[in-house]
Amino acid sequence: MNWAYFKKETVFLLSSGVILFFIIAGALRPDLLDAAASAIHSGILDNFSWLYLISAFFFLIFVIFIALSKFGTIRLGYDAERPQYTFFGWVAMLFAAGMGIGLLFWGVSEPLVHFLSPPPFLEPLSPDSASFAMRYAFFHWGIHPWAIYTVVSLSIAYFSFRRGMPALISSCFYPVLGDRIYGMPGKIVDVLAVFATVFGTATSLGFGALQIHAGFTHLYGISSAIPVTIGIIVIATALFMASAILGVEKGVQVLSKFNILLAILLLSFILLLGSTPYILNIFSSTLGGYINNVIDLSLQAYPFAGYEWSRDWTVFYWAWWISWSPFVGLFIARISRGRTIREFVLTVLTVPTLFTFIWFSVFGGSALYLQLNKGVDLASVAGEDVSLALFVFFEYYPLAGVLSLIAILLLSIFFVTSADSATVVLGSLTTGGNLAVPLYKKVFWGLSLSAVAIILLLTGGLDALQKMAITAAFPFIIVMIILCYTLWIGLSQEETLQDEDR
Amino acid sequence: MFEKTLIPVAYGERPDELKKIGKILQSLGSESICLFHVSDSNSFFGGSDLSWLMLLKDTLQEIGLSVEVRTGSDHIASSIAEAALLEGVDEIYLKAKRHWQLRSILLGSVSRDLLRLADTPVFVHKIRPILPGEGDGTITREDLIVLYATEFDEASNRPLPYVMQFQGAWCHILHVRGRRADPRSEERRHSEVKEKLSTLLEELRPYYGRVTSEERIGNAANEVLFVSEQIKADVIILGRSRPAFLSSPMGDTAERIVSGSKASIFLVP
Repeated sequence: MNWAYFKKETVFLLSSGVILFFIIAGALRPDLLDAAASAIHSGILDNFSWLYLISAFFFLIFVIFIALSKFGTIRLGYDAERPQYTFFGWVAMLFAAGMGIGLLFWGVSEPLVHFLSPPPFLEPLSPDSASFAMRYAFFHWGIHPWAIYTVVSLSIAYFSFRRGMPALISSCFYPVLGDRIYGMPGKIVDVLAVFATVFGTATSLGFGALQIHAGFTHLYGISSAIPVTIGIIVIATALFMASAILGVEKGVQVLSKFNILLAILLLSFILLLGSTPYILNIFSSTLGGYINNVIDLSLQAYPFAGYEWSRDWTVFYWAWWISWSPFVGLFIARISRGRTIREFVLTVLTVPTLFTFIWFSVFGGSALYLQLNKGVDLASVAGEDVSLALFVFFEYYPLAGVLSLIAILLLSIFFVTSADSATVVLGSLTTGGNLAVPLYKKVFWGLSLSAVAIILLLTGGLDALQKMAITAAFPFIIVMIILCYTLWIGLSQEETLQDEDR
Repeated sequence: MFEKTLIPVAYGERPDELKKIGKILQSLGSESICLFHVSDSNSFFGGSDLSWLMLLKDTLQEIGLSVEVRTGSDHIASSIAEAALLEGVDEIYLKAKRHWQLRSILLGSVSRDLLRLADTPVFVHKIRPILPGEGDGTITREDLIVLYATEFDEASNRPLPYVMQFQGAWCHILHVRGRRADPRSEERRHSEVKEKLSTLLEELRPYYGRVTSEERIGNAANEVLFVSEQIKADVIILGRSRPAFLSSPMGDTAERIVSGSKASIFLVP
């Protein structure tokens, strides 16, 4: 390998080298990998869990401030540009990119698990813990994840569409690094973005595969052994890699929209056939509690009682969203060209959040309804296997088998579209922001995503997936804090820039 | 331009030290000195014998300076600033307190207030230029190294006539700025700055043996202090910008430079 190739492909070589090392180490010595990952994970949680909470809250305040300030009227693109997608199409794509698999995985399970195992200051299975469970489900899936995505996507959109730079995280560092973004410091920023994307996406793919497997086991009684989950990942990998290699971008877009419509259909079915007034009451009261307590929730680490709970849930979620943010950020940026900062931020923060709230009210609220009013012990099912709760929940509705198959189809499509987009994004991140990614890179990243998901599942299942998301997100928090600073510098120079252009 | 200088003095001022200061000011063009003492009515020495002031006057007259003595009362910094205007002086000279063992330089609260309030340029004498010892002669313009920090704004342009007047061996023009957010506008800004520095360089060339210029990216105060040490500047010439609400009285940059510099500061309001 000559020096010129190394210089040109530093990001790809460095990131692929480390990921390969991770895969090989996981395959040969999973015990060692687990021990190392656990040590790093505990070190981060013991010392820095507060940083995740404060950062997420800061990102929220920062993006709201930017949207409402004089910078809100700045367009993400040249002044004469207009949005490429219709409002509905744009919101549908935002939503599909930002949540997807997670909503199906946690929609029923999360409120039930909080209800069953709340922090020590609450009595399990009590009305208080039900209210707490719904509020925290809203909180974990509410405005904060979207604020995290907004920081990254706004920075990328601003620096690439307004300032004409490549769509890379390192481009956003120009105000502090200058031409060093083309050197090692810039490459390291992009490598960190690649790590976060690989582990964040692999975590989601792991969740997706676990739940698809749980669905098949529940419906058809197939073995629940881990090799079957691996088989599902292998089949899905073949599908999404074929899609990524053939470049069926249009097909993926159609699939994403179809999936959103299918999800809305499923949601409407459960809403209309369940206890609709009960669900709407849960929606209304949880929304009120959420709005009223959002600052307390944002910064609450429960240091005196419930610290473990906060670390296991809130910190995990914040880390997961952060690890997803380079991938989702790049995607959201790409579809948001031509919108003003105010329109972009306010829509991204509110519309998908509102949909998520409805989703959790319908699925989580209905599950709690069955638990509290119909004597169905769904909480114990979720406590034993979070991936199974959705399918057991469907049993109390008409056409349970069809609903389960629809859920499996939704999960599979989300799996394929997410992995396909992640492959393209990883390829682009390691090809200097280019969308024309060489085939070998697509193959490498596609296989790596699945291999990492398999290794994590073999190493420690769900627990290992969560640990790795937290670990991979940690360095990216620092990157995101600097992104806020550089975006501020860029926006502050807008007036001068326009004076100079005149 | 530096013909008349106001030196605030307090009881306990050492005549030999004042003599050295007088020599430096003389070498910079001062012919006339206004010694100004603000008497504190609460002080043990307030309103009493002012013979020490006459002694200081005699000391300065010995080296050929024309000296007048004035006194004032009330708020010290305001009195000095007001006297400077009334007496029509060209500059106010302030000596920073020195703790030689620590090699640190402290600026008292009176000096800080004066730097904020004065409508006359203030020369804050720090470690450089070093006061000459007995028989060392004195610093001349031929030795003087001046650092002119400019942002090309109105506050930075006001000191320009003083920069010309200082003259000396070497004038280094420094422009510090933040980096632009993208390579294209950075390149454009760089070209503009280069052009402005080049024009300024030509303007100052007749007044100095050597004129150089430099553009740096970073924090203004840090970069000015760094370059001043690098070139061992004797004087840093700065414009005092209008302080923003809730910022330091002189503006953050000037405040930090005045506090941290070993070179003397010539601050033009």
